[in-house]
Amino acid sequence: MKVKVCMGSNCTLLGAMSLLDQIESLREIIDENEKEYRDEELEIESIKCLGYCKDTDADIAPVVIVDDDVIFNATGQIVMEKIMDKMRI
Amino acid sequence: MKESYVDLINIRRKVFVEIAKMAYEDTDLRELEKAAYNIIPGEVAKYRENIFRERAVVEERLRLTMGLNVRSIAEFTRVTEGIDEVNVDETKFIPDLVNVITFACEACPTRALKVTDNCRKCLAHPCTNVCPVNAVSIGKDRAIIDQDKCIKCGRCKESCPYSAIVEYNRPCAAVCGVNAIESDYLGRAKINQEKCVSCGRCIIQCPFGAIADKSQIYQLVKALKTKKNMYAMIAPSFIGQFGALTSPEQIVEGIKRLGFKDVVEVSLGADITTLHEAKEFLQKVPSEIPFMGTSCCNSWALMVKTKFPEQYEYISDSASPMVETAKYIKKKDPDAIITFIGPCISKKLEALREDVKDYVHFVITFEELMGMFVAKNIELSEIEISKEVQDASTLGRGYSVAGGVAEAVKKTAQLLDPTREINVESASNLADCVKLMFQAKAGRKNGYLLEGMACPGGCIAGPGTLASTTRVKKAVEEFKNKAPYKTPLDNELIDDELKNK
Repeated sequence: MKVKVCMGSNCTLLGAMSLLDQIESLREIIDENEKEYRDEELEIESIKCLGYCKDTDADIAPVVIVDDDVIFNATGQIVMEKIMDKMRI
Repeated sequence: MKESYVDLINIRRKVFVEIAKMAYEDTDLRELEKAAYNIIPGEVAKYRENIFRERAVVEERLRLTMGLNVRSIAEFTRVTEGIDEVNVDETKFIPDLVNVITFACEACPTRALKVTDNCRKCLAHPCTNVCPVNAVSIGKDRAIIDQDKCIKCGRCKESCPYSAIVEYNRPCAAVCGVNAIESDYLGRAKINQEKCVSCGRCIIQCPFGAIADKSQIYQLVKALKTKKNMYAMIAPSFIGQFGALTSPEQIVEGIKRLGFKDVVEVSLGADITTLHEAKEFLQKVPSEIPFMGTSCCNSWALMVKTKFPEQYEYISDSASPMVETAKYIKKKDPDAIITFIGPCISKKLEALREDVKDYVHFVITFEELMGMFVAKNIELSEIEISKEVQDASTLGRGYSVAGGVAEAVKKTAQLLDPTREINVESASNLADCVKLMFQAKAGRKNGYLLEGMACPGGCIAGPGTLASTTRVKKAVEEFKNKAPYKTPLDNELIDDELKNK
């Protein structure tokens, strides 16, 4: 499973690094209860600005991509739940 | 920064962007009346009970960011009231620095011990047995604490096997190491400015975002637009603050793109401060003074000044890294206008000091700087730059992490005089700093070098940061190892005179 966290200026301003910390912290939970989760690596990548926010006037930062799912206005709550749901057996 | 206060952090930062944009775009300041609608759009409340209050609070944030005072809700005043005074291209400080936005404050009750419904009215009821003032009794449903009798010693809480007793406190007061949070007539937080040392901990701890400091970004951007000899210096904790993909070099180049002529690492000033403090320690302790306190944290120094006036002279006379860096820049360009960029809000006060104001002209935080990057559409991680940032030694770059200042001074002093044993002790929150000073006052720290820092973990936990302390600590460690010099004594940018014994 691949998670990409945008590190563009807008996203960084609105907490992208905290999101990254939160997503990375999920590995601890998963490692502690290996049996409950799929045997698949949680790949986490910081990415440069993909330009979504430049194409619109709406506030969409921060942006996180979970596999092919692009999440605008990402919060830890939404992103972590999504990842955990996908990782759980 | 408190990362988990997501909405509060985002509102605060959006306000910085809004004000920086207005400055860059020369927007008519009457538009400030509308700005809250950009930050809180629509007609449905998201954060508080109604959108009117949300916008009212944001309006005060906009004013504070402009450098203006919070308005009184009791009389009619416009958002733009007093705006001409701050529509300038130099720092215009209107006291106080740290302010309560009274109508954002929820008047949280003051510290108390409370029994929760975890209580099982157990047979042993240790809570009643350990209370030194007989304030706990067993009621119909649970234990009851007589708040008039309670002296808040917390023993009932410690004795309860069900964790049924909790200590409740206002977050702002709980975190204040100098007890500067009082209450106004409506029970809302009120800062005793005589006691406050502007560490900014209450600003980041309040879960209602009711406390904020003033900013200088509007005036700074104005200055950047009109003046050519603008220099920036960036505090050692800048590493890793501006995005997980952004290198120190990209940060420095990004700052230049905001209109600064050059950027210098404050770690260079840290090297200079280290040399001064090491020599001062060797010379004065113990013959002239019994112990020496470091001088770099302004809140620590202010705390000692107000709470321990007799011991204030034991704080090092050496100027802080901020001031030393500014002096270094001034030497190269006497007309330099210098901006300090750091994690700290206390530096905003230090820069106003009579002996500092001619060197440091603006002080902004990393958060405020990030607001400027966004306002100016600068994508840091996309900047192409090959020039390395190499102003300071490994020890100087370690100043931002608790223990780093004392380590630098100790190591350098021992290089200057290998025969000396140097004891150090560090405290890195104000409450602990106060405790340390009480011990020192009582003569129990004689011969020591005392490192005081107001933020837990050091400057990397400052109120104006963007990244978590773990993230920054790691990045600082990497950057330390990349330093071209090991100690201040090797730093080629520093005059040899200062390095001599």
